[in-house]
Amino acid sequence: MLEGFHDVAWLARTRAEGDVAAWLALIPYARRIGVGAAPDPQGEGLIFRLAPEEGNVGNVLLPALHGGVVAAFMETAATLDLMLAAREPRLPRIVDFAIDYLRTARVAPTYARCALLREGRRLANVHVSAWQASEAEPVATARLHFVLATLEGDA
Amino acid sequence: MNQREPAEANAAVSAEAWQRALTRFVTVIPHTRGLGLEVVAVDPPEVLLRLPWHDDLLGDAARGLVHGGVLTMLLDTACGSSVLCALPSPEVCPTLDLRVDHYRPAVAGQPLWVRARALRVTASMVFTEGTLWQASAERPVARGIGNFVRLGARNTPPGFARALFAEEDDHA
Repeated sequence: MLEGFHDVAWLARTRAEGDVAAWLALIPYARRIGVGAAPDPQGEGLIFRLAPEEGNVGNVLLPALHGGVVAAFMETAATLDLMLAAREPRLPRIVDFAIDYLRTARVAPTYARCALLREGRRLANVHVSAWQASEAEPVATARLHFVLATLEGDA
Repeated sequence: MNQREPAEANAAVSAEAWQRALTRFVTVIPHTRGLGLEVVAVDPPEVLLRLPWHDDLLGDAARGLVHGGVLTMLLDTACGSSVLCALPSPEVCPTLDLRVDHYRPAVAGQPLWVRARALRVTASMVFTEGTLWQASAERPVARGIGNFVRLGARNTPPGFARALFAEEDDHA
């Protein structure tokens, strides 16, 4: 079977190794918009990065990034961060997503940090903040709910 | 069911002219141009868009599931397009906030359809909603609620409306 998120052994192994790059390799849309991740130099978690690619522009007059692309970046960050931070290897499925746009996202590198506010037996709540020049001045914040699927050995 | 109120001021512009104008709008945006987003129909204040299938839309390549962020991006674009045709004259209107409910996964190989409409226009805001589906509109994949800020004519670049409704010949 093709390796992937449904493969519990693969998910457990990549998670133990913190191999977020292996996860991103299986997410074509995240690759298209240029999502990357690196360890947070000031903590234990990850800082996610959205590349300022020409294809991510949503307003050519300003110019500014497409708000929907920023949203997709933040959803990707929340999903991967949750897979890494959860108590056990589980596959999150998004239930709903809410984003507030606070400032114009210029065509510049965009960063995101996630906080797992609650991890229940079936549901998780993740908060995401995205910024460009300064983390103290976010361009957007988002809140996501996920259902956490328990992986079967033969799934 | 349809609330016609926001579109009345734009009644002079035909549905076909709006379809050309919003096609121009999504074609000028690099991200939606790159993905080949199409404006299928416009009946102000309602729009119908279609995104052809592309493997880059996947969020889980092994299981063949569409990235949830693609759905958010489409709802933002469709709701924003409905805003333009609901205003007395086109203004730049950034998204203030957007909420997306995911009803069922979207799957590989099929186009994505999204219908959006402006529900209410005030002096400062435009309230919108959109629905997204694949095989059948009776089986929605996701639903979105988006609120947009009116920046007003003073903050809209001169020539914005003219660019939307420019003659076709400069488009070739």
